[in-house]
Amino acid sequence: MTEEQKTAEFEERIGRDEKIEPGDWMPEKYRKQLIRMISQHAHSEVIGMLPEGKWIPHAPSLRRKMILIAKVQDEAGHGQYLYHAAETLGVTREELYQAFLDGRAKYSSIFNYPSLSWADVGMIGWLVDGAAIKNQTMLAQCSYGPYSRAMVRICAEETFHHKQGKEMVLKYAAGTAKQRDMVQDALNRYWWPSLMMLGPHDSESTNTPQLVKWGVKTKTNDEVRQEFIAETAPELIASGLTIPDPDLHQDEDGVWHHGPIDWDEFWNVVKGNGPCNAERLGMRQDAHDNGQWVRDALEAYSEKKYGAAAFA
Amino acid sequence: MARWEVFKKDNARKPYQAVGSVHAVDPEHALHNAKNVFVRRPAAVSLWVAPAAAIFSRSAEELENQPLDPTANGHEQRYLVFRKASNRRSMTFMDHIGETSAPNGESALAQAIDQFDDKPGLAWWVIPAEAITASEEDVAEAWFAPAATKTYKQQSQYGFVSKLREGRKGAVTSDE
Repeated sequence: MTEEQKTAEFEERIGRDEKIEPGDWMPEKYRKQLIRMISQHAHSEVIGMLPEGKWIPHAPSLRRKMILIAKVQDEAGHGQYLYHAAETLGVTREELYQAFLDGRAKYSSIFNYPSLSWADVGMIGWLVDGAAIKNQTMLAQCSYGPYSRAMVRICAEETFHHKQGKEMVLKYAAGTAKQRDMVQDALNRYWWPSLMMLGPHDSESTNTPQLVKWGVKTKTNDEVRQEFIAETAPELIASGLTIPDPDLHQDEDGVWHHGPIDWDEFWNVVKGNGPCNAERLGMRQDAHDNGQWVRDALEAYSEKKYGAAAFA
Repeated sequence: MARWEVFKKDNARKPYQAVGSVHAVDPEHALHNAKNVFVRRPAAVSLWVAPAAAIFSRSAEELENQPLDPTANGHEQRYLVFRKASNRRSMTFMDHIGETSAPNGESALAQAIDQFDDKPGLAWWVIPAEAITASEEDVAEAWFAPAATKTYKQQSQYGFVSKLREGRKGAVTSDE
């Protein structure tokens, strides 16, 4: 069979809503795009532990502390689900992780913004996890079996992240003047980056048409962003907070329109020049280096008990 | 580090299901990682791990393009059989559906396909029983019960969180 025939059969399978599974034939470009997307997603989960993890010692109550610890643990787990999915495409966790530490792989731009106050934890849960869930719910329909399963598992847990954040923000928005100022400040800083994290406009997103055709994505960036605004904006307004976009409005058909997004800022952060890029990667590198003795000890113990390379 | 596939059993009535993989140096390490990665929420009574290298795997498409060629090479042993039978949205890949005895993986799969013909398989794994390590029964309580008490991780505990419909607002705390 020629490449074209194989591709045609592959596309027919996707048209029949079949899942592509490890071992099945796939176009090289499908494999490459999936490795790129899944590994970026995995790195984002791993880096995503940092802005929130830093607030664990400062949680205002035991309940909030337990919630935040559980959330950060979940992000670690989500990274692992995703590295697993990527590995089924013929790469290893180790090489993907190395590309991440070396700065060769990207991760979500949102995690290069600082978390400056406790209210950021709530705002990140509501907006950042909220935007992520929109994307992930869409990706749970993905044509590649391992990615879709990882997404279904992640969505089930991520809903808790979203709700605890929203609960916290609504509470503070209805709280003391100081609490309201804190969440308003967090909203001012996180609103635009949350819209940006859903990716460039469709007109600029060169990968999207192919990814939609192959059932990797089932919606475009702008469609997901629109859903996110439609769901989030009315709630934020009802909470008494002010969304930092004077152009944001709903037309007579109920469609939300937002002001221009600063894509120069987005690309600058993606390219590594955001407020926290160096700090975030530095912390991951430290954690990796400081964990070397643990990996060495595990290897030594296993070798003693089972012999060299017993499970390689 | 070797890759291990993880199988989780949610309750007495459910089969072991393939949930994903972890990297680990040996079976004990793999089980610990499996617990931390896949059992942060309730619904687990037991885990299995198996080194990925021990798995004989075929998708339906592979079987169609390259028919199995069972031989008598190897020593007869028990193989556990796992099958994916549906394209429905799911967080698990394959279900453990039974076992067979064969001299090698390829022969085990050929037999399994004959033996378990109630549903067409979309993907199959056969794994030598001796390659699988189960979580110990006496740790089950300590490993799996605590997740059930950590209700703050359950999205259902938050009810309907919204300002738009105050009347339906769910759990709100008063500790801060």
